[in-house]
Amino acid sequence: MSFLSFTVTTRSRASLTALREVGSSLKARSYAAQAKGGSVKQNVQGYKGGKNQKLTKKQQRLEAMRNNKSPGVRLRPTPPSQLKHELFQSQRLDELMLPDFNAEELTERNLGKAMAFPLPENDAVRVFGVPRNVLLDFRILSKAASVVRDVTIKLVDRLQAASQESSQKNRFVLSGSVGSGKSFLLIQGVEYAASAGWLVMYIPRAINLVNSSTPYSYDLRTQTYLQPLFAQRTLQRFRTVNENTLSSLVAEEKIDLHDGLSLSQGTPLISLIDVGIKDQTFAPTVLAALLEALGKQTKVPVLLAVDDFQALFTKTAYKTPHFQTIRAWHLSMPRLIIDYASGRKTFARGAVVGALSLSDKTYGLSQELRHALGLQPWLQPSSYLKVAPEITAFTKGIQILKVPEKLNVNEAASLFEVWNKNKSFHTPGSDEVFLAKYTESAGNPRDFVWKGLLSTLQT
Amino acid sequence: MIHILGVQLFENNVVKYALTSFYGISRHTASRICARLQIHDSCRVRQLSPTQITAIAAFLSSPSTSPIPPRTSLASPTFNPPPPSTPFRSLPGVQAYLAQLDVPPPPLPRQKTKGADPLRWLRIETDLKRERRENIAHQRMIGSYVGKRHAMGLPVRGQNTQTNAKTARKLNRIERHR
Repeated sequence: MSFLSFTVTTRSRASLTALREVGSSLKARSYAAQAKGGSVKQNVQGYKGGKNQKLTKKQQRLEAMRNNKSPGVRLRPTPPSQLKHELFQSQRLDELMLPDFNAEELTERNLGKAMAFPLPENDAVRVFGVPRNVLLDFRILSKAASVVRDVTIKLVDRLQAASQESSQKNRFVLSGSVGSGKSFLLIQGVEYAASAGWLVMYIPRAINLVNSSTPYSYDLRTQTYLQPLFAQRTLQRFRTVNENTLSSLVAEEKIDLHDGLSLSQGTPLISLIDVGIKDQTFAPTVLAALLEALGKQTKVPVLLAVDDFQALFTKTAYKTPHFQTIRAWHLSMPRLIIDYASGRKTFARGAVVGALSLSDKTYGLSQELRHALGLQPWLQPSSYLKVAPEITAFTKGIQILKVPEKLNVNEAASLFEVWNKNKSFHTPGSDEVFLAKYTESAGNPRDFVWKGLLSTLQT
Repeated sequence: MIHILGVQLFENNVVKYALTSFYGISRHTASRICARLQIHDSCRVRQLSPTQITAIAAFLSSPSTSPIPPRTSLASPTFNPPPPSTPFRSLPGVQAYLAQLDVPPPPLPRQKTKGADPLRWLRIETDLKRERRENIAHQRMIGSYVGKRHAMGLPVRGQNTQTNAKTARKLNRIERHR
């Protein structure tokens, strides 16, 4: 902080004083006033202790550091952008240059290729959120990306067919072993639908509907427990994601919301949503009415995607006033989803897709649901198990889309390249590391990435 | 900060655990109270509406005389709700629902019956302390061993006195305050 100091002659002192008063950030030029044969002394530039001194931000910061009485100096690391030396360039991360994930690119020609989700401001995945395990991947990767698998093409084909048919025939559940990529596949389905112009409603964590994290209140009309806050948030997110498409849709019939409050035929659906966003108490009714209105229109297909689908068929953490456990289908939001998943209510064009999650044990896949969906038919439930008839009734007609347990070599290689380019490995990956980890994980996607590639110190 | 019946509840606390600040309310009782008033598990004290705060205060001021919540029917798989514009009085099951609201709570039996709602017998704060003092005073009045031990400030239930017994020496007395 010390600067050069020079002696000052009388003639130049006045000019320098004037300059000092203007601002100490201004340097007095050494050529400005220089006496013949005399040495020029400039005043020390910087803080001198005067109360009237105007300090720059840098000087104030340095002064605060100097006056800091605590032991040790508070040092800040140099920002990475200022590390220009070649030594620091090897770990510099270049942006992942991957093709964008969109509907046209999802063909068999691109099987095994990695694609990045573009994630604009109103993207479904960005606005609705993602499951926790997927969030971790997206945070570590510099760009949210996934690999196009053969099961992705199968799902896309089914959604393409569903875009022209009623959702009564297109109700799927993605099932597979732990870490096989069900959540990622569902996200790919959601992104495909959004890019193909569908209306998308995505619920990434259905467990939040049943774990007593939002307010609830009994409603005598529907004989269920309403969840107004969750309904309001869902409406807000749905509006944000689908605003462009919704602006062209209107109500085909009169919509009744309450005794004395109704919206006439021809009202834009966005106005209906705004009613629910403005007043939380109307949100569950508005959401149900909105889905009914979307189910009747035939202009745009609708996708209702739910992760943690098994949580909709469990005992919840909510209790009745008499302290009895409430089942999920007696809550308004799960009931609404189940109505569409069971085919009791339908979209004229669209699909309902759910993904099972085996990570959570509290709201996990029950024996009853496993038997009702026909998963692992060799595992019959115990004869002493009390099977709720509602589970069997609500799961009739739901088709299972099996996610393969392992990646094939091309898909695994693309995944390996994505993480390699992201410089996430301890040391840059090689073919030996790839084959070793692929074999050790038996091709399971989650184990391959998390327990294989990211956990190894193998050189 | 919210004050309910003289007890301070901190705003950032979860209601289910904040209610245990009341003398006489355990975690299980607090869960039951939250269920009675339809307060979800992760609700914080600052998120309570004025109606809910009033309901908590009204309930805790007299748990035994608070109205019993009506038994409500839950939708079957084939239930079709009436349209939202249906007036309240025309809803199915509303007569039975309203009939339960008009019925005053039955007189409280002296002893808890199995399966009965434990909240009906709930006592908190000064009521509970008074009941404990009365129980101890009764034991002393009838001249029982328990009463004598309370009077001497010694353990009552057969604990050692050669060592330990510090808590009993500190707290056991006829006019016990906690």
